[in-house]
Amino acid sequence: MKKFNEVAINKMETLIKELVEAYGPSGEEAAVRELIEEKIKDSVDRTFTDNLGNLFAIREGAAPLLMFSAHMDEIGVIVTHIDDNGFLRIAPIGGVAPHLLVGQRLSFKNGVTGTVYHEKIKALKELDWPKLYLDIGAAGAAAAREHIRIGDMACLHQPFVNLGGRYMAKAMDDRIGCAVLVEAARRLPGSLPQGVCFVFSVQEEVGLRGATTAAYRLEPDYGFAVDVTLVGDTPEAPLMAVSLGQGPAIKVKDRSVLCHPRVRELMIETAEKHKIPYQLEVLERGGTDAGAIHLSREGVPSGAISIPCRYVHSPSEMVDAGDVAHAVELIEKIIMVSWPLPDSGSGA
Amino acid sequence: MKEEEVKELVMELSFAVGISGSEESATAAASRHLERYVTRVWRDRLGNLIAFKEGDKPGEEPFSLALVAHIDEIGAMVTKIEEGGALRFTGVGGIDPRILPGQPVEVHGRTLLKGVVGAKAPHLLSEKERREASKFEDLFIDIGLTKEQAEKQVRIGDLVSFDAPPLAMTAGKNIAGKSLDDRAGVAALVICAAELAAARHRANIYFVASVQEEVGLRGATTAAYGLVPDLAVAIDVTHGEAPGLTPPDVFELGGGPAIAVGPNFHPALTARLEELARDNRFSIQREADTGVPGTDAWVIQVSREGIPAALLSIPLRYMHTTVEMLSLDDLINTGRLLAAFARSLDRPFVEGLACF
Repeated sequence: MKKFNEVAINKMETLIKELVEAYGPSGEEAAVRELIEEKIKDSVDRTFTDNLGNLFAIREGAAPLLMFSAHMDEIGVIVTHIDDNGFLRIAPIGGVAPHLLVGQRLSFKNGVTGTVYHEKIKALKELDWPKLYLDIGAAGAAAAREHIRIGDMACLHQPFVNLGGRYMAKAMDDRIGCAVLVEAARRLPGSLPQGVCFVFSVQEEVGLRGATTAAYRLEPDYGFAVDVTLVGDTPEAPLMAVSLGQGPAIKVKDRSVLCHPRVRELMIETAEKHKIPYQLEVLERGGTDAGAIHLSREGVPSGAISIPCRYVHSPSEMVDAGDVAHAVELIEKIIMVSWPLPDSGSGA
Repeated sequence: MKEEEVKELVMELSFAVGISGSEESATAAASRHLERYVTRVWRDRLGNLIAFKEGDKPGEEPFSLALVAHIDEIGAMVTKIEEGGALRFTGVGGIDPRILPGQPVEVHGRTLLKGVVGAKAPHLLSEKERREASKFEDLFIDIGLTKEQAEKQVRIGDLVSFDAPPLAMTAGKNIAGKSLDDRAGVAALVICAAELAAARHRANIYFVASVQEEVGLRGATTAAYGLVPDLAVAIDVTHGEAPGLTPPDVFELGGGPAIAVGPNFHPALTARLEELARDNRFSIQREADTGVPGTDAWVIQVSREGIPAALLSIPLRYMHTTVEMLSLDDLINTGRLLAAFARSLDRPFVEGLACF
């Protein structure tokens, strides 16, 4: 009999596994970028990167231009101090809860791995960054400094696991979005109703920075973020009407964007026409690349497709394989819709 | 405009619905008034309403002034339909859970549905509940339907507006209503446009009813980028005096608009507004603003290469409630001061703004 976790790994799973296991805290996305460029280049007309490190993959076409953005960066930590005994002090990159790091393994770009632990504390609530340290097994400061400098960044070290229809890994936020876009690009036919640019953005976790400059450069007519969203289906979860396995979520609102009503409706119509299951998402915390895209230049009507994800920003972010497959299908169909040319905005 | 016309205008704008992100019906109302006085009217990609009036400037290089007031209002959004049919919701913009229980609302579902924010009867409150103000997670909207019926009418993400017709106080000149933050500012734009209808002014003027201010000054961000005005004045509201509040936090109703002073505002614009108020005997107040990103002026100032900005604020009591209250005198004075400001502008003044 097959063991529960021994489910056949298809091609997209391999892609997801490679992407989530890659190293890429905000500002250090090179390994992820190289991997994605390799995977997507045969599906698009051209690729290029910009000064901040965003990767653009373009399918040329008539106006309007659709921009899809999934962020490559993940949360992590940065070394702030190396003490005399070779222990590293760390600060967060992006939204990292200190208690989730205790006992976790972290890896640096050069492969150095260590674990996070804490000083003596009386109560869990004392657990904050000044109490945490990263132990890379160095026997003293000199040994630590041979490998690590102040400012080096580390991210979680966790393998991808297929739980049987559900995937668990670090950095699902937002490598799952990257995987969805790579797969959607691969499936597109030879002729499209309009131009499409897939953007793999940097520095989302520290303030939507990559998407800000990417949208400025591209000047798209419509923007779509592809990212993870929170769920309300776990024990005593905060109230939220999104569950794992009920389909990708079409975003209505989060802290960064009120999705453009017509963009949202066209996405809903597309899902319903093709009988793709979907959920509507009102996210009371958090933001996504659409927040930056829609305010670019004179404004870009924008929306977002979200993959429901449990335990976001933890070492074990969990998504549903069906939601992932349906997200790919929804994006593919959205690209095949003939989008109207938006108003010029000039009033002419 | 006559006082009676201003009263009708501000009450109409107050009653219009335009929650951040879905401002169409409110912009349509503003557009109907503005289009009488301008050269042309359009909306940009985010939905900002722009009414343009060309200046009268023989032989002079054109320059432009943007007058910006936000058209969006705070409201709520459905987050979940509960087993019994009650709707859970979250705020769009800064709504205050303290004032919600007992509030009539309209749910913008597949059709417009009347509803109320439910509240536990005082008899049924525990000792602890009696002492505490209501919290969002305890609140719900009752539209009188079962879950099955509600699901046919309402989707997650549907908007909820306050069903609150404006009130003219029986005596005096005060008006109370929802959304006067910042429909009062939009009304001031209309008053200004009406004043300028037959007047000569050199500046090209953009009257902008901006969207999504309450969720982060978003409409003004893209409008300023798109219009590239040479200078701008934002018109918003500030807190009016009321029992328990003292200056400098609050301003007198009837004391005139508050002219903001501080790092966000170009000193030459502030000085010109004060000078014109003195010359024309408009009452004004002065508001020291240390630089909290509170109004559209904040994003306009740093758009592109920088846009000199000023802020006029109309005193308003009970902000972000359904009974926000203002004085018609302040509103009329604001519109007239803006018109005087627009008429006063010439090319040398605009060029002088870069010289500190």
